[in-house]
Amino acid sequence: MNLKEIDEPMNHSDRMEPRMRERILTLLNKTASPDAVAWLQQTIASQEAHFERRPFYYAFSGVSRHFDKAGRLPEDSDEIFGDWDEYRLARVGLLLLLAKQDEAEFVETFHALLNTADLREQVALFSALPWLPHPEKLLEAAVDGLRSNIVDIFDSISLDNSFPAENFSDEAWNQMVLKAIFITRPLYRIMGIGDRKNILLAEAISDLAHERWAAGRMITPEAWQSCEGFIDDRIAGDIAKMAESDQKEDRAAAALVFSKDDSGKLEALRSGLTPELERIANGDLTWKTLGKTMEEKLTRKCLT
Amino acid sequence: MRFFDSHVHMVSRTTDDYQRMAAAGVTAIIEPSFWQGQPRTEVGTFKDYFNSLIGFERFRASQFGIQHYCTIGLNPKEANNEKLAEAVLELMPLYICKEGVVGIGEIGFDDQTKAEEKYLIKQAELALEADLPIQIHTPHRDKKKGTIRTMDVLEDVGIDPAKVIIDHNNEETVKEVLDRGYWSAFTIYPHTKLGNERMVQLMLEYGAEQIVVDSAADWGISDPLAVPKTAALMKDRGISLEKIEQVTYHNPLAAYGQSGQVSEQDWAGSEGIDPTALFEGNTLLRGGMDVETAMSQYLIE
Repeated sequence: MNLKEIDEPMNHSDRMEPRMRERILTLLNKTASPDAVAWLQQTIASQEAHFERRPFYYAFSGVSRHFDKAGRLPEDSDEIFGDWDEYRLARVGLLLLLAKQDEAEFVETFHALLNTADLREQVALFSALPWLPHPEKLLEAAVDGLRSNIVDIFDSISLDNSFPAENFSDEAWNQMVLKAIFITRPLYRIMGIGDRKNILLAEAISDLAHERWAAGRMITPEAWQSCEGFIDDRIAGDIAKMAESDQKEDRAAAALVFSKDDSGKLEALRSGLTPELERIANGDLTWKTLGKTMEEKLTRKCLT
Repeated sequence: MRFFDSHVHMVSRTTDDYQRMAAAGVTAIIEPSFWQGQPRTEVGTFKDYFNSLIGFERFRASQFGIQHYCTIGLNPKEANNEKLAEAVLELMPLYICKEGVVGIGEIGFDDQTKAEEKYLIKQAELALEADLPIQIHTPHRDKKKGTIRTMDVLEDVGIDPAKVIIDHNNEETVKEVLDRGYWSAFTIYPHTKLGNERMVQLMLEYGAEQIVVDSAADWGISDPLAVPKTAALMKDRGISLEKIEQVTYHNPLAAYGQSGQVSEQDWAGSEGIDPTALFEGNTLLRGGMDVETAMSQYLIE
């Protein structure tokens, strides 16, 4: 699968590991104490020479003994690692090393860590998925992790993470996207959201929207992206409703769906969406810009 | 006042308890791993128990503005199931270096069997390896001998007494525990352990150095407000505020602070207790906090 929104190759740990490790250490050098970084480098070096589970367990959990619990990268400081905190970076650095062990050692250790992980350790384990080998052995854990009711854990799998798009079945993908909509997560940060659209997901989103409307509540306008290409009479009606909404983000979503539509069922909406279609033509309005707007609103106040 | 209850089994307590504790000034707590009443038959139930100590229970406490820490260990009673004990010892390295794990505990003797001694030694060695304090449970029966034997065993392993908190002390054990350089903790637990009037007498005799007061509230008839109530009784009996704060806050913080996993900064910024601030948006928090009723009877016998 070719995912346009993913610019880093995935699942090639042998090739990726040294480069990713350097990147992580460089970033940690910007924020963490020199002692902590030196400890991490030394730990990686000794485990690389001779991997042993128990010291690895101590190191993985013991990251909290060396790094600052509040320490994190300044916002947008890295394309891949965004504003990750020190614990997450350091633990992913260690997992890159685990990725080099043989399959049985890797898979068993990964699951032992996950089954006993605290919240921030779970976030690190799931964040590392794109760079870990044997994805088929990690798939079930990722799907199960999404059942968490802890937003940080859900986010670590669903957002800015290429693993679901690369490995999930449609069924698992649809569950993830629906839950992300349900709990109002920023959908533009789901990698592959524009590529994994399918008819079942489009129908489920329409159903969810109708349920929400019946309850007098809204649905995030980002949701309609997953309906692109599946415009039947019912969904056309939903998009028409969005085009007439008094919320400008709803109208923007309607215009974005319209701009990709070749069903002809949305033609009547054109004149009402002129300003939005102009912004799309200039490149000022995309699913990403809409997503960012929604995310900013979300951080100001909870939508639901 | 702020209190640090360094021994309380919150998995056995309700949200009412959390509300009353928060309102009474309990700021931080330590939940030792312990025997849950029903003997465990599988190592998996230990794993899920440890997971709840570092996971859901920590979260639940935070909903009430209480900082939750834990100690990880195999309790002496279950050390007698050797097959299970071995499996738990295999599991412990996954937990002991985690954030908020402030020691190995509660470990020690129950019936004072060979198996209990074996796993006390093994766990003391783990504490050395991970450079963690140890929280000791002293036996209910034959307590004095068991307490002395515990100290002997720990010293044979090479443990520094300053990194050990010996709990459930009484008038018979306190002197030797203090003389040998250990922290001496007292559990204010109605009927079976120590009432707080006795605790006041102990304070008058031994002062506040190296002394810790806790509740060990659990699934039995016990009192999660034992620490604040005992502080109130101490004040009533003329013990200085400074000494009261030492045994109910500063000493447990200093003892377990040696783990590097707990410090006052963790709750800095939460100025006192504002119960109303805890309610908003939290599904766990319901109902009112009737502190006055809870605290009106602070004598525990």
